[in-house]
Amino acid sequence: MCVGLPAKVVRIQDGMALVDASGARREVSAELLSDIDTGDYVMVHAGVAIAKITEDNEDEEVPE
Amino acid sequence: MTAEFPDDARVTLAHGAGGRQTAALIARVFARHFQNPDFTADDAAILPVGNFATGRTAFTTDGFIVSPWQFPGGNIGKLSICGTVNDLACMGAVPRYLSCAFQIEEGFPLRDLDAIAAAMAETAKAAGVRIVAGDTKVAGRGQVDGVFITTTGLGELLPDAEPSGSRAEAGDAIIVTGDVGRHGAAILVARRDFAIDAAITSDCAPLAATVRALFAAVPDKSAIHTIRDATRGGVGTVLHEIAAESHVGIELDAPAIPVAPEVRGVCGLLGLEPLYLACEGRLVLFAPQAIAPKLVETLRALPDSRQAAIIGHVTPDFSGRVVLRTEIGTKTLLPEPSGELLPRIC
Amino acid sequence: MNAAAARDRAIITGYRGPKVRIMEVCGTHTHEIFRLGIRSLLPEAVELISGPGCPVCVTPVSYIDEALYLAEKCHATICTFGDLVRVPGTAGTLAEARSRGARVQVVYTPLDAVTYATEHPEEETVFLSVGFETTTPTACLALRHAEAQHTANFSLLTANKTMPAAYTAMASHTDAYLYPGHVCAITGTSLPESLTREGISGVVAGFTAGELLRALATILEKVQADRPFFANCYPRVVRPEGNPAAQALVAAYMEPCDAEWRGLGVLKESGLQLREAFAARDARKRFALPAMTGRANPACRCGAILQGLARPVDCPLYGKACTPDHPVGACMVSREGACSAYYLYGGL
Repeated sequence: MCVGLPAKVVRIQDGMALVDASGARREVSAELLSDIDTGDYVMVHAGVAIAKITEDNEDEEVPE
Repeated sequence: MTAEFPDDARVTLAHGAGGRQTAALIARVFARHFQNPDFTADDAAILPVGNFATGRTAFTTDGFIVSPWQFPGGNIGKLSICGTVNDLACMGAVPRYLSCAFQIEEGFPLRDLDAIAAAMAETAKAAGVRIVAGDTKVAGRGQVDGVFITTTGLGELLPDAEPSGSRAEAGDAIIVTGDVGRHGAAILVARRDFAIDAAITSDCAPLAATVRALFAAVPDKSAIHTIRDATRGGVGTVLHEIAAESHVGIELDAPAIPVAPEVRGVCGLLGLEPLYLACEGRLVLFAPQAIAPKLVETLRALPDSRQAAIIGHVTPDFSGRVVLRTEIGTKTLLPEPSGELLPRIC
Repeated sequence: MNAAAARDRAIITGYRGPKVRIMEVCGTHTHEIFRLGIRSLLPEAVELISGPGCPVCVTPVSYIDEALYLAEKCHATICTFGDLVRVPGTAGTLAEARSRGARVQVVYTPLDAVTYATEHPEEETVFLSVGFETTTPTACLALRHAEAQHTANFSLLTANKTMPAAYTAMASHTDAYLYPGHVCAITGTSLPESLTREGISGVVAGFTAGELLRALATILEKVQADRPFFANCYPRVVRPEGNPAAQALVAAYMEPCDAEWRGLGVLKESGLQLREAFAARDARKRFALPAMTGRANPACRCGAILQGLARPVDCPLYGKACTPDHPVGACMVSREGACSAYYLYGGL
């Protein structure tokens, strides 16, 4: 249930962010993060970006 | 070819009533696209199967209810040919003849039906198979979702080919003919249920020529132990089936399994396992490790199997089960699929 | 496997210290640990217990009964995460209700449930709001969207839970927690840090193979010092302060309440309910739901399993009456449940 997916922010508009995970794109809410920009990586949970990912030395392997 | 019908022309119940409108529909859509010397106007096609070299025929049937009816990489018409052609090919047969039965929802656009028939004709031609008989029924609105198609096929067995799900042996290499899960992921995106975008094209393809090339590549045809097309349930389901039918264990090298990044992305968003997403143009092969490199080389030279790869091997251990060797060198079971994954995908 | 992961793997496989019980309290950790075969690396002295961290597994039977009542008696449309559809209530599952004609929609996010409600103004739409600190903000956000869009036909059936009470309740069953990374991404790390003063140890873990190996190796290194410890092994996502916007959002809409956990009973202040100001959005009040006392199968041992007191194989139903295809207990339903994970991945 607490599955998170790292994804890259492609666009931000009106509190929604278009994110990209290996080519799969979806609009998610960016309302819970104040300091994100295009190009940042965020952790997405249930359609909401819940955290900005700082350094990304792990691979992008994703728990299902 | 879609200029044949105006935008607003629809299939009506009269098209299925057996009268003049039915004859017109068959003539304008099906006969026009499917025309070949064996296509019958009579109640049944007469086929020269006595000429089959080995005297052996493969025979199968399959129903198709995909929604939406068209998707990147194909439509239900193409799918309905590929499914039956590939089932025949997996038995070591050259597909020769097909019949097709349509259940069409009242109000379905004629232009779309025409596009479906065109895709069937084109795919049948590519697969070297003739559509020789058919049937058309029209159901009331809501009784069918658009169009359902059932195809039935006859194939001529290749000499000495005897692939079977019960012939996998310890020591066999396991080959998949391309990246997995494309069709299921493409349908999932096309359905728009989860508002995900991804540039994923279905792998839907007829693989009769691929199978012929494989048998041509090996002197001992019986050395190709098992061929199965990974449709509903994906490669993972096929592997579980074969482990059970052949009473062997299967060990997969997880990092060696080809998966397109976009498919991985969709699976990541929705918590799905690519191994359980449907393919419609992927074969799983079992053959001795000694000839596996030759088979992979043959596959990689063909258009629909350029990403063929050896993904594991058969072991005498843990009979009936499928084990994954993970990225950190541990072993874990590949769980059996359970419950509904996705509705109406093939 | 990179060099760091290989080093951590060697620390784990080479552990020769005293017996250690590690409890993971996140269903996604349970699932990933099985999927990656990490249990097979553990030496005999290390026991990994799957704790009560799957929100589906700890949701009581009565909650499913409430959802069934809403769907079948109140004719509401139920929007839910997929996991809940197959959880058995006293009389069946939501999937069975759907096959009888009830409207049950699986959604990817609570925000999609609001979209559904907006597009179907004639349907009362109830989102099944389960989950821990990670998920609760997403439900509150959905409520905020519904308020802003004046979507009057949207409400929540809440069973949201918070981890702190469970940490304390389970402390005697474990030597160290694998703290749930995405819960901590919201809450921050002050609570687990302060728990060290009560003698409760643990590390925050991420979800990739490398992150899980790092977290386990850290526990096995620190446990030998015999002093309570805390470490954040998921710093790329988890900050000490967590996500303040998410915390404020939840505080605006919800307040603590006592909550029933399947297997653990009622834990004080371990749940969240909607504040009185949002009573109209609370499906229990909106539909005046009667009190329900769900009845679980008496032979089911999910409760003991969730506390780490029994293993799935100790349950008389496990693998017989209770399988992933025909789950009896909640631990078998969710892919993240301990029984389901044992059934699907165990036995190697």
